[in-house]
Amino acid sequence: MPILSVSGLSFSIGDHQILKNISFDVDEGEVIGLIGPNGSGKTTLFNVLSGFLKPISGTVHLRGKDITRAIPSKRAQMGIGRVFQNFGIFREMTLEENVLVALESLSKDQRGELGDLKEVVKGTLEMAGLTQFAKQKAGSLSGGQMRLLEMSRTFKTGKDLFLLDEPTAGVSPKMTHQISDLITGLKKSGKTALVIEHDLPFIGKICDKVIVLDVGEIVLHGKPSEVQKSKELQEIYFGADPTT
Amino acid sequence: MILPTVLGFNLVFGKGKILHFGQEAFAIVAAYSVWVAVVRYQIPFGIGLGLGLGLVVLVALLLAWLSFRLEADGFGVMSIALHLVFLAVVLNWQSVTRGSLGIPKIPRWELFQSLEAYTLLCILVVIVWVVFILWLDRGKFGRNLSALAEHPWHAQSLGINRKRIHTIAFIIAALGALTSNVLLPPYIHILTPNDYGFPAMILFVMIVVSGGPGRVWGVIAATFILMFLKEGIRFVALPPDMIGPVRLMLFGIILFVAVWWRRDSIFPQERKI
Repeated sequence: MPILSVSGLSFSIGDHQILKNISFDVDEGEVIGLIGPNGSGKTTLFNVLSGFLKPISGTVHLRGKDITRAIPSKRAQMGIGRVFQNFGIFREMTLEENVLVALESLSKDQRGELGDLKEVVKGTLEMAGLTQFAKQKAGSLSGGQMRLLEMSRTFKTGKDLFLLDEPTAGVSPKMTHQISDLITGLKKSGKTALVIEHDLPFIGKICDKVIVLDVGEIVLHGKPSEVQKSKELQEIYFGADPTT
Repeated sequence: MILPTVLGFNLVFGKGKILHFGQEAFAIVAAYSVWVAVVRYQIPFGIGLGLGLGLVVLVALLLAWLSFRLEADGFGVMSIALHLVFLAVVLNWQSVTRGSLGIPKIPRWELFQSLEAYTLLCILVVIVWVVFILWLDRGKFGRNLSALAEHPWHAQSLGINRKRIHTIAFIIAALGALTSNVLLPPYIHILTPNDYGFPAMILFVMIVVSGGPGRVWGVIAATFILMFLKEGIRFVALPPDMIGPVRLMLFGIILFVAVWWRRDSIFPQERKI
């Protein structure tokens, strides 16, 4: 059984249809890249999957359970973790509090599995390499550090499926490398992720499959090596086949 | 004695960043339901308190529901409207509330008849309330409320249930108003609608803004300072018709200074290249 099953999903605002009949399955342990030009509906799809937007038709199943009408916090407690395009860090809280607030929001079972929360907080900050800033307000971190903290926090909170929206946007090449390592580590531990990215080599390096969206529809679906070679992708991204 | 209601309001408006201007709606419902029942209809205090508790929780649920349905600015206006509707009811339902005459002869409990004993009781209740608010503020609830205030979507995607947390915040604000308005009328032996007008709401906003929105100790300090100024001005040798305008000018200056002092957070400077 796939961990995530999306079937016939459509979403529109007024007359403008943003997602059109989207269907795909994600198997456990897969990392799937979601690519497409700006305005193709990638982030909207994430918003529908995480419950912030309600689809006009179609269903979303998590481990066979219909979650189409579940509220965002319920979906999070069922195991969907999300990293947003803009930094999802609470700037007025310390780094410790930023991790703690996420841990405290888990269901009782999830918290029980994690054990001592103080140790998890410590482990999360170590994972992000930010232990020395534990008591500082998160607003004092650089953009890259915020991204690392957000990702480590999401990965450490016992989720099974991660929706990562442009995790390398606006970070240095060194940080991109660290983020790539984090996602690879996630994959090794058997977790599942959907990653929105414009960085095609990055997608090729970390993903098992790629889904290409254009004007709200899935236009390509396959292995990264196959998709990257396709003429359709070149046309979608560059407007024409660059070899011609 | 206004501290419980101000700290409750601070939780919603200051920490939760919800544009709620209906704190006085809670206060009116709390004060009138309890004291009309007890004084006008001779209902035992315990039952009157239960009635007040039930009604303020209902108003809290109504305001919470409206806050989920409306945009922030629309909710702000609606919460003011709700306050003014309750005030209009109190002023016009004369057979029950005695309108602008208010309800006199509000009794104190037998054990606390003397002013000293009653003051001591009030201080104890307020201390318990402050400890309760500090406990909430520094715990999981406070963190959840702050997270929702800063990034509602991010907080919800971590598993924080916005409706539950905000509803609890409104209920606590309502309980704060109930606490203040159960304590104050027996202290002065009268319940009058003049104490529940819009200027009282402005005072609450001013206290929270000058104390630092969401900061418990800051708001406590601001409550003492502003109440001291508000009441202390009575003792300044001014003609009676000057006291009101002077008080308003003083509060205006304090609000201006508070906003000026916090200008970097309220009006962050635009970065230019």
